[in-house]
Amino acid sequence: MFLILLLQVSDWAIFFGRFHPVLVHFPIGFLLLAALLVIGKRLGKVSISDATISLILLVSAISATFACGAGYLLSLGGGYDEELLDEHMWQGLGVAAFAWVAWVVHSDFAYKKFPVSRAVYLPALGLATILTMVAGHHGGSLTHGEGYLTAYTPEPFRGLAGMEPRREEITEIKPIANVPEAIVYQDIVQPMLSVHCTQCHNATKKKGDLRMDSFAYLTKGGEDGPIFVAGKSAESEMLKRCLLPLNDDDHMPPKGKPQLSDNQIALLAWWIDQGAPVDKKVAQLKTDEKIKPALASLSVGENAKEGDGYNATGSPVLSLKVPEPNEKAVASLKSAGLLVNPVAAEQNFLEVSAVNAPEFTDAKVALLTPLAEQIIWLKMGDTKITDAAMGEIAKLKNLNKLHLEYTAVTDAGLKNLQNLPYLQYLNLVGTKVTDAGLQSLGSLKAIKDVFVWKSGVTEAGIAQLRKARPELNIVTGLDEAAVAAFLQAGKADSTQIAKKEIE
Amino acid sequence: MNNLLKELQHAELQRQTRRHFLKECGFGLGAIGLGSLLGSCGTSGSETAAPALPDDPMAVRMPQFAPKAKRVIYIHMAGAPSQLELFDYKPELEKYHGKDCPAEFLEGKKFAFIQGVPKMLGPQGKFAQHGQSGAWISDYLPYLQTVADEVTFVKGMYTDQFNHAPAQLLMHTGSPRLGRPSLGAWSIYGLGSENQNLPGFIVLASGGKQPDAGKSVWGSGFLPSVYQGVQCRTGGDPVLYVSDPSGMNRDIRKNTIEAINEINRQTYEEVQDPEILTRISQYEMAFRMQMSVPEVMDVSKEPQYILDMYGVKPGDGTFAMNCLLARKLVENGVRFVQLFDWGWDTHGTSADGAIEIGLHNKCRESDQAVAGLLKDLKMRGLLDETLVVWGGEFGRTPMQENRNGQVLPFMGRDHHLDAFTIWMAGGGVKKGFSFGETDELGYYAVKDKTHVHDLQATILHLMGFNHEEFTYPFQGRNFRLTDVAGKVIKPVLA
Repeated sequence: MFLILLLQVSDWAIFFGRFHPVLVHFPIGFLLLAALLVIGKRLGKVSISDATISLILLVSAISATFACGAGYLLSLGGGYDEELLDEHMWQGLGVAAFAWVAWVVHSDFAYKKFPVSRAVYLPALGLATILTMVAGHHGGSLTHGEGYLTAYTPEPFRGLAGMEPRREEITEIKPIANVPEAIVYQDIVQPMLSVHCTQCHNATKKKGDLRMDSFAYLTKGGEDGPIFVAGKSAESEMLKRCLLPLNDDDHMPPKGKPQLSDNQIALLAWWIDQGAPVDKKVAQLKTDEKIKPALASLSVGENAKEGDGYNATGSPVLSLKVPEPNEKAVASLKSAGLLVNPVAAEQNFLEVSAVNAPEFTDAKVALLTPLAEQIIWLKMGDTKITDAAMGEIAKLKNLNKLHLEYTAVTDAGLKNLQNLPYLQYLNLVGTKVTDAGLQSLGSLKAIKDVFVWKSGVTEAGIAQLRKARPELNIVTGLDEAAVAAFLQAGKADSTQIAKKEIE
Repeated sequence: MNNLLKELQHAELQRQTRRHFLKECGFGLGAIGLGSLLGSCGTSGSETAAPALPDDPMAVRMPQFAPKAKRVIYIHMAGAPSQLELFDYKPELEKYHGKDCPAEFLEGKKFAFIQGVPKMLGPQGKFAQHGQSGAWISDYLPYLQTVADEVTFVKGMYTDQFNHAPAQLLMHTGSPRLGRPSLGAWSIYGLGSENQNLPGFIVLASGGKQPDAGKSVWGSGFLPSVYQGVQCRTGGDPVLYVSDPSGMNRDIRKNTIEAINEINRQTYEEVQDPEILTRISQYEMAFRMQMSVPEVMDVSKEPQYILDMYGVKPGDGTFAMNCLLARKLVENGVRFVQLFDWGWDTHGTSADGAIEIGLHNKCRESDQAVAGLLKDLKMRGLLDETLVVWGGEFGRTPMQENRNGQVLPFMGRDHHLDAFTIWMAGGGVKKGFSFGETDELGYYAVKDKTHVHDLQATILHLMGFNHEEFTYPFQGRNFRLTDVAGKVIKPVLA
């Protein structure tokens, strides 16, 4: 018991708990075997010694006890239907208890002391066996969901058993071809409830005593009362739950499950605000500017995919999976004065910056190569590297941003970069790069932003590259003449209150 | 390396003679701890030979997802500039100029100074649309007009506070009361400092007065104080007392600091107070800053045309100079630069506080430098990764202020919490975009209303943080910048 209490607080609990599905098969197997052998023996078909049966019963009882312990630890992880879990627990405890009883009364020791006890033997074994099967079935339901076993019952058995015809489960929202003619509840609201809500709020699961699989059940509400107030989305529980922070215990759908997109929430709110009609078409309801983008999204089927917008990546490189960086390689870069930082949690990409290492030279650039997959942002600006370093830098195949400003890198060095598929940002400010070097960037697939202020690049060179790659953002800067032109903007200051006047 | 080791051994011997009997003899465990501490000294290969702190507070932590803005320049126009003169063009208000304010605007409302029934005040700036994006900007900001296409305006801002200090606190710390960490403190708590020789969060103030809410607007609140903003002066020594006293050379200073830090480290081992780590890293930082700060704050190497672009003369200590310094700081990897410029509180009680004079002059002092800053960041390739935010702590009323029921000598507007405009540029926000609208008279934000917490959630998002999960445990619960509210303004994200 103490062990279990101790276990509750740690990963060990879940670790051992997960052995429950493995352990349960021992008592199931052994108890059924014991029952089979006892029946066989009674019928005179099997000859087996009592000692063997005793051994099988003992193993059943011990394994059932361990299975119970593991099951309890597993349940600590949560996420199971409470009611079903409770039943399953008592059935499991029953299996273990009756298995022990059967073993004890079967032994010679007990028989000698209390001869009557043998009368308990068969009922105990029988109960243990039946409970094993019931508990096993409930365990399966807990893991796979209720109705898993019979969900695919084919006709005609389905009809004979009185089961409803099988319905296609909606797991994805299909685009709507003609949005104005769509029936708001049936074609817009219910499909998103079916994707996001009915897994837990259906005929069998009914979490919070709420079903969301038909309009009638929606109106009925759950254990806390109605879930929407027609015409008032702000007072509707259903909507409030969606809008709570993800970490809130009351947030719906629960954290970890697919969430409703902003557009879907907007549509739900709009439908409620319009009185939550069951049969009205989109065209029959009032639409304002706010709901239009959400309605528009229905026709392209995007509303399910919008996500939470937190994967603000921009570059496809960030969706790559790369192995963890070699710690020694990271340490050697750090000892060379470079900053090595992770780009984001749960990704192995690195940002390397020489902002504190102005003395960084070509000699040390090979230190980067062991991290060729991981380094995506590299800041070599204002260092002593030259063209000789570019061969090594070009080996960083996932490079996305590269700062070479105020280095001695020239056209010759840039030529090395041509095979970087993800290079998007290249800073060449204050370098000796010329128009020829700039043109060589035309072959970079992903290149988007190039900075060439105070380099040898001319307007003609930029125009030439723009012809080949019109989408490029090539940024030059202001020279003295341009600054003088910029200063003219102040002359447009039309009101005539001179500063001096008020002082 | 040998020399450093010897120094350390020497320091260690000195320490033992003094404290040996008092401490180590009594507590054998302490000696074991010391052994491990010395072990790490011996193997450390870093230049200062300092043992790695158990938890370096300035180490870069991982953002939750790849940041689009790695640095922020937050320009706070303290006192609250009038959105109705600068960005939020309301031709309808022009028609109501001089008429009594409709009763519906006054019922149940509290203002800082307005009493009775004030008159409406039409826009004083001359508005036109600028750039490809057709942004409405008045002639008060002629230079900003030239960079209109770089900027995203958020015109439906609203806040909860109508007095300067609480509103500034709300804007920067997420709460109108004292004690919460500021946005800059949260950023370096989350992202650490990039440049190890400069503070990660630097504050530059201008306009002759500190913000009304005091230094708490760049404070660290309940975060360890190592995360608070470091205020630099723009004239004279940028940081006071950072240079060596006469007669002390850099080596002696280094020895002193190492000895002090050694003692501090031992104290930390014993009592585990994180504030000691702050103290240690501040000593080390101050030592490194002796070299790095004067260098980064020195604008004498900037070419004349760049100085002209901002409109500064070396050493003038103006807002324009602070803009130039902000560029230099982010160029050197400073994470968060906070500019405060006081003097935007235009009630109309004096010429300096008048819309048509004071506000216009504040614009003249700052407009060119702000536009110059955007241009400068852009051409250096910095604007892509640097988020620039410009705004005040609240807005100003569409009514003319009538303090004590009197007609004021100048045109002025009272504090207003229901509508104001801020703009953002660079690091991950759209270019040439406008979000949110106010009603015809500019009284209420009516479309795409954006609360201060929404703005904060958006800034954190751009820096790679989910504001709901970016928390710090304090007094038994997790705190976050956006308290229990805030929603990322997704439409403004690029």
